[in-house]
Amino acid sequence: MGGTASKLPKDLLSEYQELTFLTKQEILLAHKRFSELQGRENGPYSSRVSMEKVLTLPELKSNPFRKRICHVFSTSDLRDGSLTFEDFLDLLSAFSDSATLEIKSHYAFRIFDFDDDGTLDARDLEKLVNCLTGETDDTRLTVEEMRQLISNILEESDIDKDGTVNLSEFQHVISRSPDFVSSFKIVL
Amino acid sequence: MRRMSVFPQHGTALETLGLTANEIRQEVENKTSELVSDLVNLSAGGRFQAIRSLPMSFNERKTIRNRVNSVKLSKTILSADCRQQVSRSFRRFRASLASARQHLVVWQDTLKEIGGRFGTSVLSYFLFLKWLLKFNLFSFLINFCFITIPQIVHAPNISSVTGFRGLELLTGVGYFNQTVLFYGGYNGEVIVSTPAYNMQLAYFFTIAAYLVLCGVSLIYSMSRSFQNNFVLETGPVSGGAWRLLCSWDFGVVNEKAIQYNKNNLGIQLKESLSERLQEKNKTSLSDRIKRLSLHLLAWLLSLGLALGSGAGIYFLGTDKLTFNFDNDPNDLKAEASTLLLPVVVSLINLIVPLLYSLISKMESYSNPRAQIYISIIRNVVLKMSLLGILCFYWLNFVPNKISCWESFVGQSVYRLLIIDFIFCLIGIFFGEFLRNVIGTMCIQSLGVPEFDIARNVLDLIYAQTLAWIGIYFSPLLPVMQVLKLFIIFYLKKISLSMNCQPPKHTGRAAQIQTVFIALLFFPSFVGTLSMVAFTVWRLRPSDQCGPFQGLDTPFYAIFNWIDSIQDPPESKWVWWIFENVLRSELFYYLITLIILVITFFLWQITQGRKQLIKTLREQIVNEGKDKVFLLNKLQTIQKQRREMASYIPQDFDQTTHFNTNWMSTLPFEM
Repeated sequence: MGGTASKLPKDLLSEYQELTFLTKQEILLAHKRFSELQGRENGPYSSRVSMEKVLTLPELKSNPFRKRICHVFSTSDLRDGSLTFEDFLDLLSAFSDSATLEIKSHYAFRIFDFDDDGTLDARDLEKLVNCLTGETDDTRLTVEEMRQLISNILEESDIDKDGTVNLSEFQHVISRSPDFVSSFKIVL
Repeated sequence: MRRMSVFPQHGTALETLGLTANEIRQEVENKTSELVSDLVNLSAGGRFQAIRSLPMSFNERKTIRNRVNSVKLSKTILSADCRQQVSRSFRRFRASLASARQHLVVWQDTLKEIGGRFGTSVLSYFLFLKWLLKFNLFSFLINFCFITIPQIVHAPNISSVTGFRGLELLTGVGYFNQTVLFYGGYNGEVIVSTPAYNMQLAYFFTIAAYLVLCGVSLIYSMSRSFQNNFVLETGPVSGGAWRLLCSWDFGVVNEKAIQYNKNNLGIQLKESLSERLQEKNKTSLSDRIKRLSLHLLAWLLSLGLALGSGAGIYFLGTDKLTFNFDNDPNDLKAEASTLLLPVVVSLINLIVPLLYSLISKMESYSNPRAQIYISIIRNVVLKMSLLGILCFYWLNFVPNKISCWESFVGQSVYRLLIIDFIFCLIGIFFGEFLRNVIGTMCIQSLGVPEFDIARNVLDLIYAQTLAWIGIYFSPLLPVMQVLKLFIIFYLKKISLSMNCQPPKHTGRAAQIQTVFIALLFFPSFVGTLSMVAFTVWRLRPSDQCGPFQGLDTPFYAIFNWIDSIQDPPESKWVWWIFENVLRSELFYYLITLIILVITFFLWQITQGRKQLIKTLREQIVNEGKDKVFLLNKLQTIQKQRREMASYIPQDFDQTTHFNTNWMSTLPFEM
């Protein structure tokens, strides 16, 4: 592919348009960026781009969840977070302007679910807090504060009191925060 | 609609539950075919949206789509084929429309850059600005096409006695006095052409149509915003959960900004935790009385300030009116003195909000949101009382004393807008640039200034109110507003990236956005509408200039028109509608009644929904209890089975852990 790859076949393009929330321009731009990433790949051509390469994109480079995002959207059997172009489109589609609240919250949930077990338990929440707060001493939470915070969160959002936040409880929390749709957004 | 659950991922673990690989495959297959049959029954548009919204990978969605299509194809009857074609081409058309619109989006890169560095809440200020810019551009276009072009083509009315001297740019008088910029530059003749173009009607209907369109689009965006952002507060809200789960801004890509956000979030979490601890030990009565009296004092002070500045403006205005304008058009000094009032107004607008922020530092609010809302209310009261006083003065004193009073009002609004713009520039320079220099060089403790979204948006709302007020008196005023907003956009962007840091408390930006649109509607637009309506219905237009000269009120233009079209019998129905519907009290009485009844019904429905939400919530809690009970039961049974089969148990914790997950991935059927 390489340089000539900026041409997408027309039927493929319309299929992408049909199955994702992206517009034609967005798909073409995504394709351009993706083939740039592929171009830098050494060795024989592969349809996958490794996670390290994907993370060189400025839109993802500094994101605290960058590895999680790659893992969630990767369809690789090796679970190495590498992305095909379709995976990449899925990623952009979920983070696009026109994606529904439901799809956004679904992927947010999977990104925050660090151990991929289908619920946010205390360990996931702790990792989440560590991802989101600074590393300096005055912003890092103490053990006691962390415990308090997690119990607050569970008290607020764990409606069925099973000690974890599942997808529908997570969506319930999000439905009370209208800012989520506008902030869960990555644009190329 | 049913959704695919995520459970095929844990195939191996399911086997330990006693399910064979075949059974699992069967289960997945059942789910998929259920989904496909659900999808087939949807309409074409809904089906595409539903397939897009499936939380699966691209290839899985593609498989589902192909299966749906093949089922659909086998069912297709010839007659439906045509409809499908139409709907497909319609969809194509919509997609191409969406992509064409994307070409038209201005400032996309700039907006992305702002969002990437300062987050969504600051971005919302710029989006608001852009929205206002579109409003004004639209208003300029229709005014220019329907009022100005006919006037210019028909009779260039420029009989200027003075040359251009430069000061006009600030004051709007002199050279501009008789131009199409102001009301006085138009005359109400009927332009003889086929069909005849009646300037009076054109003027009236263009302004009316613009105001109606503004109102409709404001109500529309307000209701959209309410629908999306209005949140039912249920259950305990300490802010911890949403702050952690939903407040991270994925759009921010700047490394430094991310660090900054992280630190802020950490501090906010700590603050909310300590607040929660403090809440538990109740404040004493004397403390509460002290706090209450402080609030009272602060309110008295701020209302007093607003009243005082209103009174000051009133006396300044009436006092200045005593000397006559039309005397000497070449008197520069008199012309410059007209700038005194707008300068004072803008000074008040600049200084009093600063005093307000000092006052609010004196009070201590436990809730930062309450603090923001209260400061917004105070500022709105100030700005609206200033504008109210000015309108009162324009409509009460000016019409009797000045010969071409509409132009005078137009010029006053023009001056206010221009001076406000200059003060905005000064504010950017002194308020943000110098403050940054002082904060970084001299007094380190001040730090870099934050971008104050509320103050900036309120300034925009104020300027927009002025532009709306002026639209009747100066039809081309939107041009000034467009230029102003355009320049402000770039200056603010530069100033933001050079001088400011993102605001610390960014929470609930969307809700504040709703409040701003509501503010733009309620005091601002409704006030303007009533002022223009009063002018049109009640005030006598000036005799020497303007399109409505010689009429009792501008609205008489409509009466005359209606009377004139009564003659040809084919347009009699217009007259009939006007006489029997629009002018009858009964019609409005009925309309009011119907609206009241509809409102009552909607309110009832809302109450019902609230009840339903409560019930569903209780149901979820009950289901949670059921789940725990069933899980326990399942575990005991499993244990028994294992003991019976003398099976060497694996890590028991692991299994229970998994069980919970398996159950929770099943969607709630509600």
